[in-house]
Amino acid sequence: VSQVVDPQHVEGSDIDLDVVREMLSHFTYSDFEEAQELILSALQEVNEHFGWVSLEAAKVVADHFGTTDNRVYGLLTFYADFRTEPRGKHFMLVCHGMSCYVMGSQKLVDELEQKYGIRDGGTTADGELTVQVVNGCLGVCDKAPIVKLDADFQTELTVEKFNQVLQQAIANGGGWRHH
Amino acid sequence: MHVQADSTLRRLTSRSEFEQFSATATDKWNSIWGSTNTVVTVGVGSSSMAKGAEKVLEAAAEFALPKTGVIVRKTGVDGADWMEVQVSVRRPGAPLVYYGNVLPEEIGDVIEGRLESKAIGVDGDQPFNGVQPLRNHPFYKYQQRIVMRDIGVIDPDSIEEAIARGAYSAYFKVLFDMSVEDAIAEMTAANLRGRGGAGFPAGIKWESGRKAKAHPKYIICNSHEGEPNVYKDRRIHEGDPHRILEGLLIAAVVVGAERAYNYIGGEYPLAIKRFRKAVADAERLGLIGKNVLGSGKNVAFRVRTGGGAYICGEGSALMYSVMGVRGMPRTKPPRSVEEGVWKRPTVANNTETMANVRDIINNGGAWFASIGTEKSAGTKLMTVQGPLKTMGLVEVPMGITLRTLIDEVWGGMRDGYKFKGVQTGGVSAGPLKEEHLDLPVDFDSLTHVGGMLGSGGFVVFDESISAIDFARYLTAFNRIESCSKCVPCARGNPALVEIIDRIRLGRGTRADLPMMRRTSKHVIELSLCGLGQVAPMPLLGMMDQFPEEWEAAVTNNTGTTLWLTPRQEHVLSTDTSTTAPAAD
Repeated sequence: VSQVVDPQHVEGSDIDLDVVREMLSHFTYSDFEEAQELILSALQEVNEHFGWVSLEAAKVVADHFGTTDNRVYGLLTFYADFRTEPRGKHFMLVCHGMSCYVMGSQKLVDELEQKYGIRDGGTTADGELTVQVVNGCLGVCDKAPIVKLDADFQTELTVEKFNQVLQQAIANGGGWRHH
Repeated sequence: MHVQADSTLRRLTSRSEFEQFSATATDKWNSIWGSTNTVVTVGVGSSSMAKGAEKVLEAAAEFALPKTGVIVRKTGVDGADWMEVQVSVRRPGAPLVYYGNVLPEEIGDVIEGRLESKAIGVDGDQPFNGVQPLRNHPFYKYQQRIVMRDIGVIDPDSIEEAIARGAYSAYFKVLFDMSVEDAIAEMTAANLRGRGGAGFPAGIKWESGRKAKAHPKYIICNSHEGEPNVYKDRRIHEGDPHRILEGLLIAAVVVGAERAYNYIGGEYPLAIKRFRKAVADAERLGLIGKNVLGSGKNVAFRVRTGGGAYICGEGSALMYSVMGVRGMPRTKPPRSVEEGVWKRPTVANNTETMANVRDIINNGGAWFASIGTEKSAGTKLMTVQGPLKTMGLVEVPMGITLRTLIDEVWGGMRDGYKFKGVQTGGVSAGPLKEEHLDLPVDFDSLTHVGGMLGSGGFVVFDESISAIDFARYLTAFNRIESCSKCVPCARGNPALVEIIDRIRLGRGTRADLPMMRRTSKHVIELSLCGLGQVAPMPLLGMMDQFPEEWEAAVTNNTGTTLWLTPRQEHVLSTDTSTTAPAAD
């Protein structure tokens, strides 16, 4: 089991703050209350685009909405969808809803830990893969267990098929940014 | 996410302009189905997209391009997950034929009727070319669709199609032809109980919202749906967003609220996109805003999205999340109808509750109350998970039995799987066994045996699943999703997981069983919010229904017979004195 390392070297994981500012320019507000209500949506957009939200980006968001860095960072660490570290090249959501559980998603979660050395939120040492375990339901329950790897759903997985799919994606290059 | 409204829409400023728009939309809808067209409809929703629905739609459009009289449309998914990708074809002079599991390369043959082996059913009561009516299929036979009437029928991105099928007719009625007192009376008579799981009557909520004197007031729709066992609300958003929006706008007018919110879980991008489009179109058409259709009524609307925290489905946590802070519940009172969003009176309802409003206003409360059972009126959207044959989302009258649902509607167990139990109420209640399957499914009938209707998600599990392991999964969910504000939940749930893990590793003792019950009691009685107060229920249910497994595990110290590899790091300590406080 390899150690999780800082995947800062993953290409393209830098956050261009000018792009963040451009995104924020669409979040206009007329009063204090509306500004507060928009913080989460804005963070979601930044998180979706870059795959994570850096402390610097969080500061830009805080400035835009007239609030503190701490407040924004507090949101990033509370809500499960946000990442405060960059994503690896490939990004995988492992559905761990009840259908997937009953049909064996725990085996996939275990495989990730034992073979790839990553748990929920982690990135492999080589920066190839980041995994997020979904504690909700992705809604493709009849084909459980499923994962969403980059843009594609992979369904009715066994551990063997799961490994094949992962190896294939890594061999093919690409990644979540290319979709 | 910024969604543009349909640029062809013009603002309507009076009731007659709306009536005119509605008539034109109806004509347009009817012309689609005119006698000389072949109409091809592809169900595109998050579940079918995972199976390639967008490619099927593209292939259909490409096939139709050089042809005349072939119309290709998209709709949401109608709930029959087992049929996806679902395509329906209406050829001139023939009824609508539904095809299941269609692949992109097959679309030409499907459209031209050369692949009838994929036909699942036809519209109407009569068989056609040997294909039986779809409504006779067990999956559809027991369904009564109110909320889902137009899901899989209309294009969710088209406000015109929605209006052609009756959208905003009840809103119109409340704006012009019905007093707010009458509207509340109908809602109360309907006895529409909250579809999020709590089952509190919506009419009474609206009444107390109306009586609240502080202004502004707000309406909020809880579309968070963070449970790991249910996917109904996102399907309504994806298939018929205007129905939810209409319910919210009616609630705002009736309660006298200045603004309505819809809080949607951030995990459902398609639901958010389609709902935002619906709001943008309704705004452009003048159904939201100042002086709606010249009625003098003003309604503002905001869409807010969550960030993947289950706790935000709890009322007060949801409102904190809307206000842009951590979603951590607070003590009550004050209830949200006194102090909700921005400390203003706020009426909160579930998505499915809101989606029922149109038909109650149009058809009356008595009509609605006549459906279902005496204490649980109406229909309920129900979903299933596990190894079943014809899985999906259905809308059935309250009072149907679990046996009918599991054996007929959802097709029974897949080959090679033997039924062991069905987990009910998501992560908030316990499982039911074979002997409970003849109980009616409604708000009250399952609770005395440790089950719960909850939000209508049932999880069937087979003999290969250990009750101890399932209990660990369910308790671990609550441990992870605890907001950690109050100690009984924040510390109690990890303690429970720890004891379960000890048993799973074959290191449990008989003393662990009463210790789990004591710890559960502390969590249930001392936690601050609804999540904590029910968090140990799945564990207690698994202990009550499958006591022999627990007994065996702690007596023989064999551990559980699982495919799982025991993960030692979860056992923080084998010294039982540190895991949970001694009783009393």
